[in-house]
Amino acid sequence: MNTWEESLLSLLMIFIMFGMGASLTFRDFGTALRHPHAVGIGFASQYLFMPFIAYMLAIGLGLNTPQTVSLVLMGCVPGGTTSNILTYFARGHLGLSIMMTICSTLAAVIMVPLILVFYTSGMGDEFVIPSREIVVILGVLLVPSLLGMATRKLNANTGATFELLGSLLGIFVILFLIGMWIPRNTETLGNTPWTVYAAVVGLGLCGFVIGYWFARATGLEPVKARTVSLETGIQNGPLAILIVAVSFTGDLQREMLLVPMLYSGFIVLTSTLVMFFYRARSLREELARDQAKVEPAK
Amino acid sequence: MPSTAPPSAPDSARDSDTATPGSAPGNPQTWRDHYASRPWLRHYGQMPTQLPVPQYHNLVEMLVESAATYGTRKAFTTVTGNGMNGSMTYAQVDAQSNDVAVYLREHLGLPPGSRVAIQMLNSLSYPVAAFGILKAGCVLVNVNPLYTAEEMVKQFNDAQVETLLVIDLFADKLAQVVPRTPLKHVVISSIAQGFPVIPKFIVHNVLKYWSRMVPEVKLPGDMQAVSFPQMLRTGNHLRKHASIEVKQYWQHLRGDDIAVLQYTGGTTGIAKGARLSHGNLLKNVDQLDATARSHMDEGKEVMLTCLPLYHIFAFSVNLLAFFKAGGHNILVPVPRPIQKLQRAIENYPITWMTGVNTLFNAMINEEWFWRHPPKHLRAAIAGGAALHESVAKRWEEVTGTRLIEGYGLTESSPVVTFNPLEGDVRPGSIGVPVPDTDILLIDDEGQVVAPGEPGELLVAGPQVMQGYWEKPEETAKTLIDGWLHTGDIAVMDDDGFLYIVDRKKDMVIVSGFNVYPNEIEDAIAKIHAVQEVAVIGVPDSNTGEAVRAYVVKRGEVTAEEIIQHCRQHLAPYKVPKQIEFREELPTTPIGKILRKDLRQEYLEAHPENQP
Repeated sequence: MNTWEESLLSLLMIFIMFGMGASLTFRDFGTALRHPHAVGIGFASQYLFMPFIAYMLAIGLGLNTPQTVSLVLMGCVPGGTTSNILTYFARGHLGLSIMMTICSTLAAVIMVPLILVFYTSGMGDEFVIPSREIVVILGVLLVPSLLGMATRKLNANTGATFELLGSLLGIFVILFLIGMWIPRNTETLGNTPWTVYAAVVGLGLCGFVIGYWFARATGLEPVKARTVSLETGIQNGPLAILIVAVSFTGDLQREMLLVPMLYSGFIVLTSTLVMFFYRARSLREELARDQAKVEPAK
Repeated sequence: MPSTAPPSAPDSARDSDTATPGSAPGNPQTWRDHYASRPWLRHYGQMPTQLPVPQYHNLVEMLVESAATYGTRKAFTTVTGNGMNGSMTYAQVDAQSNDVAVYLREHLGLPPGSRVAIQMLNSLSYPVAAFGILKAGCVLVNVNPLYTAEEMVKQFNDAQVETLLVIDLFADKLAQVVPRTPLKHVVISSIAQGFPVIPKFIVHNVLKYWSRMVPEVKLPGDMQAVSFPQMLRTGNHLRKHASIEVKQYWQHLRGDDIAVLQYTGGTTGIAKGARLSHGNLLKNVDQLDATARSHMDEGKEVMLTCLPLYHIFAFSVNLLAFFKAGGHNILVPVPRPIQKLQRAIENYPITWMTGVNTLFNAMINEEWFWRHPPKHLRAAIAGGAALHESVAKRWEEVTGTRLIEGYGLTESSPVVTFNPLEGDVRPGSIGVPVPDTDILLIDDEGQVVAPGEPGELLVAGPQVMQGYWEKPEETAKTLIDGWLHTGDIAVMDDDGFLYIVDRKKDMVIVSGFNVYPNEIEDAIAKIHAVQEVAVIGVPDSNTGEAVRAYVVKRGEVTAEEIIQHCRQHLAPYKVPKQIEFREELPTTPIGKILRKDLRQEYLEAHPENQP
């Protein structure tokens, strides 16, 4: 990806988050905050389960050291904006999704090196966590969302229009990412052993499943569990790529980049499928709630 | 249920002419005097006991004065599920409805009193069309948009409707309807009528290409449909250029002139048009005003209208009474799934709302609602179907405001009773009669029953209709000596508060015992696995009639278990003999279960059992 494409993508992301924000009110964040345990559960799935899943997958599939390290890195980077967009499409709890992304991104500065040291004894020290980038990520997430929310409050029609445009752009960006990624990586894709494929696809899928059931087991209702699920399974691929890029050089860098690159491509595909599944479930629940029984008195 | 002991003599000092029934307990004439003394008046609180001197000769005078008073204030806002909206001020509604009136009278050449039908969901075109029809001196016919072509044909022929204002979503049936009815003119509107350009474009295209809900309109022969904006432009052009005074169409209208033909199935299943006059509707507006005035700031209230305006409840309460009070109506075209109400509730400072039991129940189950109930809400008004105690209680816990139940019928414009906004909550009560309204409760022999005893509810008051449209026999059966026979069985307690027991027609007589389906339904609904239940009586060779229950399950339960449960909670003769499991039950547009449809279906399937 060249700089021009990167800038375009960031611009699109800003616009999309503006649209997403326009679907929210401050109350939505209030609701998310009233479930500190929901944010906590997301946090736990994010920083306890994902690195552990990554580590177990790497051991189980017999990945080599650079692959193992980069897979664990993939497992412990925070959730990305893609999870917010897909939560919106899946009719999940967008406010909760954004809160979780913010919390895990803020914590990344401390958590990512800690976890890497824990799982990859020795190599963790090599990593440089670009804190300036983290601030940028938070800015791109928060500022447009807040502006979107303000727009909706000032003029509901403008808000709803930007929400629609933002969501259409979201679909476009997802297609754009897939369309850009496959043709440019055909060579790499052909040379990669199946174990790496299994590991990157498995990481996302395990994240979705474990995130959902962990949230359900701790008493969250399905809509929020699906939100936690998407947040857990979808990691901030570009951030992982960036961390590798600033931490390593030469052949090691190239080798380490493979996992985050592959992950970023496949997660768009798998999470889109999961999103459709979740969306159908949410719609069905909304209709069923409509018919909720009038419980008799006493 | 209130106690069945005879009441003590009314001890009100305020009603000096109160009859004292003590001397002859059980004498129907004494009880008649008791009802006539309006024992409920002492529970009115701040409410006036009598209506003021009428301010207006007809509804249009009221509408025009309100428009003049509140000119620049927002009168209506339509909100779609994604928050897109369009608004109109009082002055705009006034001007556009004038255009409609001129279009109907001058362009289409309709004579005064001509029936003009509206078939629309809640949207900005509804009030413009409805007020325009009234201003034209024509009669408004509300048509349920969900009607089948067959039902439309019957209604249009019965009312001799020549003009129809319809929303595009329902225009697909016209090809079948037009050749079989007197219909000559069709005006087509859309949900997004009156929205700003971009939201209008988006809403229209989403409905058309994404939801595929906008059908192609095919009219037979050379008939041309006119668009709503086209109608407004033509009307406006005529009005300006021929300097037409719209007033000439309506200024002569008086209280007994018909304003609305409101169709109702009633219990007999024959659709009839209730003739509601300008006077009926004005009086009902006054009666509503009397009950709520002390709780309203004129020109400051915001009303959430998610019940359909074509239904008499929302028509009188939301549309007419709140327009008079200078309220801002938030119109929601389709409140289902209930999630679609979220933007309307979040984006506007709702102070009042109307609804039915199922709507309130669905709302309090939504997290976005119960966590953040509308802050400015004063009270919510329930009607249309019985309000369940559990819903009323939970509503009060969630919102901190009262859910006030009222009672009414299409035939009474509709409000008959209302729970006073002050005073104790009386769970399960439909309240007391509104000012200037009398009631009687009579038994099968036509004798007035003692307070505490169940009897058919009879209503007399200025809101009672003029009769049914061209159905003198039906009218004669319903309006007897000035009393509207509601067909509902009710009980009055010592304070004059009324409780509905059941529909008279739905009562089941098992071996000579009266069985009320509501009681059995309540008992069965207590089973956790039961989602919904309806009970009817069917012919039975041994007992005359037998109780039959239709059950929608949400968990596992067998017919034997239901019968066992009923045996524990009900007298043996009330226990259902037959149980049938269903996927769903037939309901009216506002969610009331149609027992008569089940009964009819059963009789058609079992002709050998016909009595």
